[in-house]
Amino acid sequence: MTDHAQPALLPGGGSRRWMPGPTRATGLALLGVLALCAIVGPDLVGQDPARQSLLDARQPPSEQHLLGTDHLGRDMAARLLSGAQLSLSLAALSVLTAGIPGTLLGIAAAWFGGWTDRVLGSFADAILALPGLLLVLMLAAISPGSWWALYAGISLTLWVEYFRYTRQRTRVVLAEPAIEASRMLGLTPSLIIRRHIAPEIGPGLLTVAAFGAATAVTAVAALGFVSVGVRPPTAEWGVMMTELLPYWREAPFLILQPVICLVITVLALHLSVGGMHKR
Amino acid sequence: MSVIEVADLAVFAGPTRLLGPVSFQIEAGRTLVVMGETGAGKSLIAQAIMGTLPPSLTATGTIAINGRRVDNLPGAERAKLWGRDLTALPQEPWLSLDPLMASWKQVAEAHRHVAGLDAKAAKAVTGRDLTALGLAPREPRLPGALSGGMAQRVAFAAATAGRAPILLADEPTKGLDQQRHARVVGLLAKVPKDGGTLIAITHDASVAEVLGGDLIVLRHGDVVETGKTAEVLQAPKAPYTKALMAADPRNWPVQSMHRTGAAILTARNLAISRAGSKLIGGFNLTVHAGDRMAITGPSGIGKTTLLDTLAGLIAPFEGTVERSAGMGEHSVQKLYQDPPAAFPPLIPIGTNLRDVARQHKVDWDQALQYLPDLDLHQDLLNRRPDSVSGGELQRLSIVRALIVKPKVLADEPTSRLDPITQKTTLDLFARIGRETGIAVVLVTHDAHIAEKWAGKVHPLSLPISA
Repeated sequence: MTDHAQPALLPGGGSRRWMPGPTRATGLALLGVLALCAIVGPDLVGQDPARQSLLDARQPPSEQHLLGTDHLGRDMAARLLSGAQLSLSLAALSVLTAGIPGTLLGIAAAWFGGWTDRVLGSFADAILALPGLLLVLMLAAISPGSWWALYAGISLTLWVEYFRYTRQRTRVVLAEPAIEASRMLGLTPSLIIRRHIAPEIGPGLLTVAAFGAATAVTAVAALGFVSVGVRPPTAEWGVMMTELLPYWREAPFLILQPVICLVITVLALHLSVGGMHKR
Repeated sequence: MSVIEVADLAVFAGPTRLLGPVSFQIEAGRTLVVMGETGAGKSLIAQAIMGTLPPSLTATGTIAINGRRVDNLPGAERAKLWGRDLTALPQEPWLSLDPLMASWKQVAEAHRHVAGLDAKAAKAVTGRDLTALGLAPREPRLPGALSGGMAQRVAFAAATAGRAPILLADEPTKGLDQQRHARVVGLLAKVPKDGGTLIAITHDASVAEVLGGDLIVLRHGDVVETGKTAEVLQAPKAPYTKALMAADPRNWPVQSMHRTGAAILTARNLAISRAGSKLIGGFNLTVHAGDRMAITGPSGIGKTTLLDTLAGLIAPFEGTVERSAGMGEHSVQKLYQDPPAAFPPLIPIGTNLRDVARQHKVDWDQALQYLPDLDLHQDLLNRRPDSVSGGELQRLSIVRALIVKPKVLADEPTSRLDPITQKTTLDLFARIGRETGIAVVLVTHDAHIAEKWAGKVHPLSLPISA
């Protein structure tokens, strides 16, 4: 079976695996725009997200306030961008702190099996038995309003997905004759992880990471909304929704703004790994 | 009237033609044999007739069964023919059987729902069929626990349960040992005698010989030769058909003998087990440098387990396997029967070979020297295992093993490799043995291969107690 003989039979072959389809392209573009806004946006808007001006409360969009002002006269655009910074950086951090230990422990569990696998597996199951948000709530309750509690809680919930995915895929890979062949040839565990396991779990981990990041963004907003997460006056999308909810009848465009931001972010994350076909 | 009439059948993947055009007609009570190596497009004929081509492929031309054109029927209409008008014996029995259902039940199910017997009769007929195939009448094991040959027989029993007059057999003898091989071929040969129609797809000339009838030889999707099977096999005209005949182990020349050296691997009173029960006991074997050795025996006897034990992959159940002084940890290398499964699938082959060379501190340029020797181009190293041919990959795996500088190569070639590749590979082993003094230990169920190729043959037979 050569490359040119049967191209249609190998849809996942070669470099085409990494060519984003329209779904992924949309997601990645959205994500890029969001990240760009979060990084350079606050400077462009040039407004302090915390500066109140009660005389200018609930103003419609104008030249001075691109997206209007909230009930305390704070600039909406500045607050949304500041919220984006918070949400996206927390999502990115949680991907790292949940993803790295989750993946490594998953490989360890599959590799060593036996007690290692049982202990790690039981721990992961115990965390899974609690609803994710509950765990975050508990940690947030211990230290109310703390950004760190929120972050630790989210990471502690999300590592399980990386762990379970990695462990399961790695077990399958390790059972293949190719592993036996590599061991016979004297290849070290590090090489086996890099050549056999990493390419196999990579694409799937990206999906887990994107969904995990979306979960983190939603969790931050949900906790902010029920007033146990980030506290006012910090500009955070969930907090903004709570604050603007009483004014939805007079100024519906205000509450809509953080809602739309949240929807777009979650959508972008989900789309960015959509339509990825595995080999 | 012809039972099957195929006119100008061609199969395409996008713009690429994979098969054809092929035309033939078969009457009731006749046989058509399609021969060719792996990738020649043989299976596409069967899939086109059944109506099971993958959606990425398109077919042109016409197919009529019992005078009724079927190629333009919707899928559901064609599926109604399955089991009753025509049936297929699939190529990979493990894939066609339900992995979670007791084997005998899968056969009984076909008797019950396709042939329309009641539960009791279905059970009785199943028992009779399975016994006739040399299996337990109530074979309770799941397909995954059966050997390739056993699974193939279960699939045969299930496929023929509906008593369809047309049988399509795609590589029916793949992976079967000689005894079973003859049995399945005998069963197939009975189909036309009973008034049925048989289309057999094979790369094995001995199968074609027994089945007779008409023959189509395919290469790269093109028909290279047609005619009466007996006549074509007697006097092949096309060069490709000649090469195919020469690759039949029965026609191989006997490999010349050569001197062997000191003992390097000794098995004493070795016993092996599967799932806790002893398979082979009291096995003694000494491998000398440069030996060309074959271990033969029927399928399911534990040849692979024995080979893995000799290679040090499995601890002996009883007895010892000793390596002589000078034999290192990696001095015994194994070659896998399914080369694509022995490479990391997602990285270029060259990366894998380079890792091995680096691990064993072998100069990369020195490693590359093996390539032209085995008729391999360096460009192949940039490809992934799924984009080189089976034969090339088998040779690349030999290169990979040679980098380690082994003293013993353990190999288990099977009829999964097409015959020309198999012959080339084994010729190569004989050459490597002569030139380098590496001993090659082969397990095979093909007595012809053992007889023509090996310097020493160790036949295994079932212990009397079993």
